[in-house]
Amino acid sequence: MARIAPTPGQKLSYFIFLCISVSILYLDITSNSFQSIKNSFKSFKVSAVYITNEITIEPIKSVINLTKSKNDLIDENKNLKDALNVSYLNNYLISRDNNFFKDEEIIKNAIEKKNYNFSYDIAQLRSLDPNIYKCCDRHRMHIEILSNGENSYKDNVVFNSSGILGLIVDQNKNKYHEVLLLTDVSHSLPIKSGSNQFFCNAKGSGRLDIIVCSYNPLLWKEEMSINKEFYTSGLGGIYPKNIKVGFLKEIVIEETTIVRLEIKLTTNPLEDSVLGVIKY
Amino acid sequence: MINYLKRILFITFVNVIDHFVAGLFLNFFIVLPLTFLTYSLYVYRSNKNINSSEAFLVGLYIDLISETYFGLNALIFCLTTYTINLYANSFKLFSYLQICLFFGISASAYVGFIQLVENLYNFSYLVLLISSPINILFCTLIAFISLYFPKSLNKSF
Repeated sequence: MARIAPTPGQKLSYFIFLCISVSILYLDITSNSFQSIKNSFKSFKVSAVYITNEITIEPIKSVINLTKSKNDLIDENKNLKDALNVSYLNNYLISRDNNFFKDEEIIKNAIEKKNYNFSYDIAQLRSLDPNIYKCCDRHRMHIEILSNGENSYKDNVVFNSSGILGLIVDQNKNKYHEVLLLTDVSHSLPIKSGSNQFFCNAKGSGRLDIIVCSYNPLLWKEEMSINKEFYTSGLGGIYPKNIKVGFLKEIVIEETTIVRLEIKLTTNPLEDSVLGVIKY
Repeated sequence: MINYLKRILFITFVNVIDHFVAGLFLNFFIVLPLTFLTYSLYVYRSNKNINSSEAFLVGLYIDLISETYFGLNALIFCLTTYTINLYANSFKLFSYLQICLFFGISASAYVGFIQLVENLYNFSYLVLLISSPINILFCTLIAFISLYFPKSLNKSF
């Protein structure tokens, strides 16, 4: 059967919907207006997957486990794994190479008295889309904070056993929170060299494990070399200082007054599923 | 209503497959927009014109489930639906190869537009250049399947 070509009325409705689409797209890109809808959907999706998993896969797993009579061993193994992951986070915090707090005495005293009382919450990685992480500029992940408190975690730093990953950007008090990763193009991290002679704002590149820092070589005289290490400077007021961020991978001279440093991060968000969220 | 729900469920299913396939193909700089191609095929094979509101809502739904910017797929789906509706009768004069070329190039344009918005800072011509022939080949393959197994595709929609 032949289809009739769009009538003027239909053309007008297409035009109106195109205008609405463009407006929505513009609003979303410029002001993130639909973030709450996206977060709610994400929470729903994560919960739905979890419940479906609990209803369908877990009973089958438990039946298989029962038949093998290894339940206790599996539970113990799971508990040990969780404890090990938490101890990795603790080790990262109390390590002498890293300093999460401005007052170094806190860490020294804690180590000497063997009384580690660092304030952070344990979180579980719930969603990180590897496709978007590999392909696109927006590098985000969703975590579930395993605590009963209804604190607001906005701008709190998230880390895993190998270092800092990013910061929480949403303001909701739900369990699920969106984390802006260091490699997201909208993220900016104040960094410095090991000698404290060079400071720069490193932006996310939108590529895996890479952040970029552009500077004027006429202003900053420090010589750059491949594999030079960089640390957080603490100047932004969000990230604590002196945490190792990564090492210099490539130096690109764009103009005589602009040099771009590509820094490879030491952390990988896909590495661990247990994370820490620093409490202030 | 049930037909609409079926279509939405089918598109959701294809989107899930798209999601898994994308991770594999991305290593070879290939983007195969299965969801977009499925929707285009649905509009192409439909006996009546698809409403602009339907195209818009399906696009918004795809935006939501695929975590892209709101309005991005809605815009492209509206444009695609309008173009296909406009040339629905002209397609009958085209050969299969021409139709495959049209849909393959549309898919490449979709990839380019999505990359331009989603991946502006790392826009890759390599991805676009490799994806284009692969998309055309994929459409040709689908055309071959519909030629040899016409009933199976007709049943889907």
